[in-house]
Order: sequence, then structure tokens, then C-alpha cells
Amino acid sequence: MTGFIDLYTEAGTFLHRTDPRVKIVAVATLSLLALIMSNLVNLLVLAAVMVVLILFGRASFKKTMLAFSYVFRVMALIVVLWPLFNPGGTPVLFDLWPIKITEPGILAGIATAVRIFCLAAAWYLLMFTTSQRDLVRGLVKMGLRFDFGLSLAMSLRFLPTFSAIVESIKEAQRARGLELDKGNFRKRAKDYVAVLVPTVITALKMADTLSLALQSRAYGARADRTYVRELKMRAGDYVALFIAVAVFAIPATVKYIFSVPL
Amino acid sequence: MIPRVPMSADQDKIISVHELKFVYDGSVRALAGINLDVRRGDYLAIVGGNGSGKTTLAKNMNGLLRPTSGSVAVNGVSTSEQTVAELAKVIGYAFQNPDHQLFCSSVAEEVRFGPLNLGYPEAEVAKKTELSIEAMGLSSVKDLPPFSLTLGERRRVSIASVMAMDPQVFILDEPTTGLDARETDDLMDSIDRLNIDGHTVVLITHDMKLVAKHAKRVVVMSEGRIVLDSDPGGVFADLELLLRSKLVPPPVAQLAHRLSSLGVPREVLSPEELVFHLMSGRGARK
Repeated sequence: MTGFIDLYTEAGTFLHRTDPRVKIVAVATLSLLALIMSNLVNLLVLAAVMVVLILFGRASFKKTMLAFSYVFRVMALIVVLWPLFNPGGTPVLFDLWPIKITEPGILAGIATAVRIFCLAAAWYLLMFTTSQRDLVRGLVKMGLRFDFGLSLAMSLRFLPTFSAIVESIKEAQRARGLELDKGNFRKRAKDYVAVLVPTVITALKMADTLSLALQSRAYGARADRTYVRELKMRAGDYVALFIAVAVFAIPATVKYIFSVPL
Repeated sequence: MIPRVPMSADQDKIISVHELKFVYDGSVRALAGINLDVRRGDYLAIVGGNGSGKTTLAKNMNGLLRPTSGSVAVNGVSTSEQTVAELAKVIGYAFQNPDHQLFCSSVAEEVRFGPLNLGYPEAEVAKKTELSIEAMGLSSVKDLPPFSLTLGERRRVSIASVMAMDPQVFILDEPTTGLDARETDDLMDSIDRLNIDGHTVVLITHDMKLVAKHAKRVVVMSEGRIVLDSDPGGVFADLELLLRSKLVPPPVAQLAHRLSSLGVPREVLSPEELVFHLMSGRGARK
């Protein structure tokens, strides 16, 4: 019914217990690693590691499939389009003007698709194993201003509510004879005004009420905030942080200092 | 597939619900076998606690939701054979929150939106708009933006915008929530007038005072089932059932219950009736 789901699944795995700051760093290093590698075999190994990590994080199968269904579509597009638009090198497998397909072109397309998979998997791994609250907590501890963190947390919190409201607005307009998703582009764009305007107005009203509710609970009364739950790095977190950095630092050294292509 | 019901036999049935079951998202059971005939000219109140299935039932009546099993027929034709827009010509549905549908820059434009969607010619749209605005008492504000109006007025705009589509049935979901006593009375007067003019009214509410004062027939829902279908007096006579359905009868009906030992009948609906029974009861004793 609603278009948005929270990807987080509650579980007590090592990945769930790891400090969110470490996980944010790990996402960054894993993403960078995927970006500096271009060899298909290396990328496939990284992808396999990601799959193992995701399985280890015990995300729900349904959510995983939903999350990756978009990634798979992008990957399929890249695999098809890359060789068509980037027909470099030899051997040439197919040449019929204006279409030319080469083996390196196909391999590069597949490698790019796998790289996209690795990038997406790194981010999804964070989303699967970190609750929105922990994520925001981590970002604030890493230096994000608290009010920005709060705004982020609230927008995440209100996404499902909001998507339910949009659904209800659509129903209300359909009951008035509006046929969404019918007709040409111009008609559709015009029809969506009937959904968009009530949505924006409802959102503004909601935001207004919310800010009053925050103020009435003394938000911002003291400049020096205290926190109910303080994040604390444990021994295991330091180990994980070390691994996360090493996973990027070692291949980066190999590639850029010793000039070994990866 | 529902066969067309022969017109002669069931001419007065405008909505016919048969063994309707509805499940949200494959797991949340909202309706567990509903059988209900809404007759032409009915003034029907669907009452029940929050989550009892009132709105789900109503949305099945105008095609926004389709039965998981069972069937809903409007004028003898199954809703599964009609689009929501087609059904909107017969069934007008005013949502609980008027702000979920208002988007135009003037009340008049807002009211025109429905009949324009249904493809009526310009002259007819203008006429229907004019009549609905007048019937809902909005003539003085018809050029103002709907969002500048009070909640009571916005409700009226949403009902007028349904009325302009000229439906045979009005489904009104909690039309009086958030209105003060005066606004409620004014709005209910307009709704009563719709019924007097021959329209079928389906009122979704848990305001029992409203039901006692206006409805002619009451359907009590609890946990996705209809537990009682009767006139308002009959419903208020069954205190037990109402409480079980998370409802409380209006104070006057409760008082009648307490006074039943004095010979006051349990199905009293108004203070006037209560006074009448008390007076005649005392007279009989003397």
C-alpha cells in the first residue's frame, strides 16, 4: 500500500552491535574500494564479500529483494548499454554499422554493473543493520549539528506517515472522478496538481504543528545538550574500524604506490 | 462474476453487499463477511469503534477498495466491473479530512472539479456547481480560496464538491469531527435536506447523539462484522451490545435505561420523548 519501508531489521548480530560511526566509515572505505578497482575478478570477489556480509546481517529477504530490485534494473541497463556506447579494443565480436560490440566493451559493462552492485550493497548494509536512530546518533557524534540530525531523524520518521497521507489524498481525488495515470503526459502532469497541492499544504501544516510540539517540550532550552544514550567505542569497534580502514588502505597502497592495476 | 439483478425484484436496493471479506496487505483482516443492502432513500448510519471496519466497508462501496472475496453491487452491477470514476457518478464519497482533497484557488473551482472529471457539458457543470454551492450555504465565500475557510466551511466545500457530481448516494465519513455544536447542527441540517430530497445517505460516525437525532437506520460494526442492523431506537435499547462494540449510547438513552423501572421504554431517542414517557408514566400510576 505505501511506497516506503524502513530497511532496518532488528537482530543482534555483530554488524548490528558495531558502533554506527564505524559502519559509516566502513561504507565510505568499501565504496572507495569499489571505485578504485576495475578488474572484473577483483570486483566479483568484493561483491561476494558484500553478499556474505548482507547474509550475516540477517536482513529480511523481502526487504533485501525490494531494495536490490532497483539496483538490478540499473545493472541490467548498464550491461546492455555499456558495450553499445563504449566499443573499445579487440576482439570485435559484432560489427554492423552503426552497432559495434567488442569483448572488452562487454567485460567493462559487466565490471561497472558489479561495481554499482558493490556500492549499493555497502550502503544497504548500513541501512539493513543500523536503526535510523543510531544512524543519526552516529552522524551527530561525527560532527553533524544536532538540529540537522534531528531534522534528518524526523524526516525519516515521517516518511511512512507521509506516504499514507499521499495515498489517502489520491483516494479522495479518485472518488471525485479523477483518473490518475491515464491520458497523455500533459494531462497526467495536470492531474497530479490535484494530489500535489493538498500534499504540500498538509505537509506544511504538519511541520508547523510539529515545531510547536517540539517547542512545548522545551527543545533548545539549553545550549549544552545531554544525551540519554552516549555512543561509546568498545574494543570490538576499534578492531572493526581498523579492518574497515585497512580494507581500503592496503589495496590503495598497492595500486597507487606500487602501481599494480586492480 | 455477479449476474445483473433483475430490476423489478430489487429496484430499491442501491448498494448490495454480499459475504464481503476484505484483507489489507495480505494479512490485516478488516472485514469478515459483511451482508448489507442499502435501499434507495435510506438514511443509514454505520457506527462502531475505531478499527471496526466502517471506512473499509465504505471504500468497498465506491470501488476504492475491491473485495478480497464476496461482492459489492451498485445498482445491480458489481463494483469490480466499474472504475472508481464510473462509480463516482452514483456514489459520492466525502472523506474525513477535507484538506486531503482541496487544491483549487477558489471554492467554485473546487466544486467544479468533480463534474468536469465526469465529463458533463460546461452549462451543466455551471448549473450543478451553482446549486451545490447554494445548498451547502457557501454562496458568500464561493470566490475565496478553500484553505482560508474554517474547518466547518471546508467540510461543506468537500460535501458540495461531491454533491456537484450529482450522485444518488452520499457516503460521509465522520463529517462532524472537529466541528462545534453550531457547525454540526448546520451541517447536519444540510445533510438531512439531501435525504429529504430523495438521496441515500450513509453516515460513518461514532457520535451517538448524531445517530439518535438524524439516522433512520443504524448498522453497528465490531471487529469487521455487522453485529446489529436496526432502527436507532432498537440499537440504543441494546446497551450491552453497544458497550461491547466500544460505543456509548447518548445520555438520554442511558437515562431511559435507568428509568426503565418507571415504565420508560428503552428505545428513547430524544429528551422530548423521555419527557413524554415520564409524564404519561406518572399519569398512569396515579
